[in-house]
Amino acid sequence: MPAPDPAYLLAEVRQLDSTIRAGGPEALPAFLKLTNLILNSTVLAPGTTLKLIMLLPDRTKAALGGRTAREPLRLNDGRYLRVSGKLYLDQASQPNFLKVEETSYQYQLDQDGDRWIFRYDYLRNPPHAYPASHFQVNGQLAEAEALQGLPLKKVHFPTGRVSLEAVIRLLVEQFKVPCNQPSEVWRPVLAESERDFLKVAHQALSGPEH
Amino acid sequence: MIEHDSTVELSREELIKRLEQEARRRRGVAARDLLRAYREGRLEEPGEVADLLALAGLLPEDDPIFASA
Repeated sequence: MPAPDPAYLLAEVRQLDSTIRAGGPEALPAFLKLTNLILNSTVLAPGTTLKLIMLLPDRTKAALGGRTAREPLRLNDGRYLRVSGKLYLDQASQPNFLKVEETSYQYQLDQDGDRWIFRYDYLRNPPHAYPASHFQVNGQLAEAEALQGLPLKKVHFPTGRVSLEAVIRLLVEQFKVPCNQPSEVWRPVLAESERDFLKVAHQALSGPEH
Repeated sequence: MIEHDSTVELSREELIKRLEQEARRRRGVAARDLLRAYREGRLEEPGEVADLLALAGLLPEDDPIFASA
């Protein structure tokens, strides 16, 4: 099958971003469509798709996830990416702009996530003292005495808010997850999508204010 | 559960069942206790169950599962 025309995909990214920014009920499905577009262009195994989960009858909020509670996204390397998040249409704004309350991206070896490798979490309003945006890795530190007994996997390294595009690049460039499209296609798509994200992404403080 | 191409629509009962099963499997606690610990800032490694917390976030604030014991 020939690679899709990058110009066509870029136009689709821009159109979806425009719909997301306009807010209202169309913003939620547009967000999902854009997320699936960048995942399907890159690391997602064929036949796998991210879903919007809604609690009827409320259509102003949605969670991102797999079809079931134990269904992370299958990747082209046979491993998994657990993508979760909470989205809502802000009822205090007119139109109701789409906001992201939390996101979590976890790369894992197994379906259940017992053998996770790394994870990026973001919470708009965390109820705990961990950095609102942080990174964790399930590994061992060569200089372990620096942690005074704390396992490395329990260290929450503060980060800025990390985009899904950045996580995909990490998977492709560092973990060598095969891509569905050639780099001439997926690189411009990720760049366009990430540029739009960075324009509007809320950045949280690295810890509680009080 | 109603499933479309891109959307999964759950009833409250279905959502609570998912939370309950996964809270017990992953942490060995009831969903109510997991969510209470999270809201009180006592839940260790909330990122491990981020998907469950996102799912619970779909429930209204006055849902009985958030009520104090």
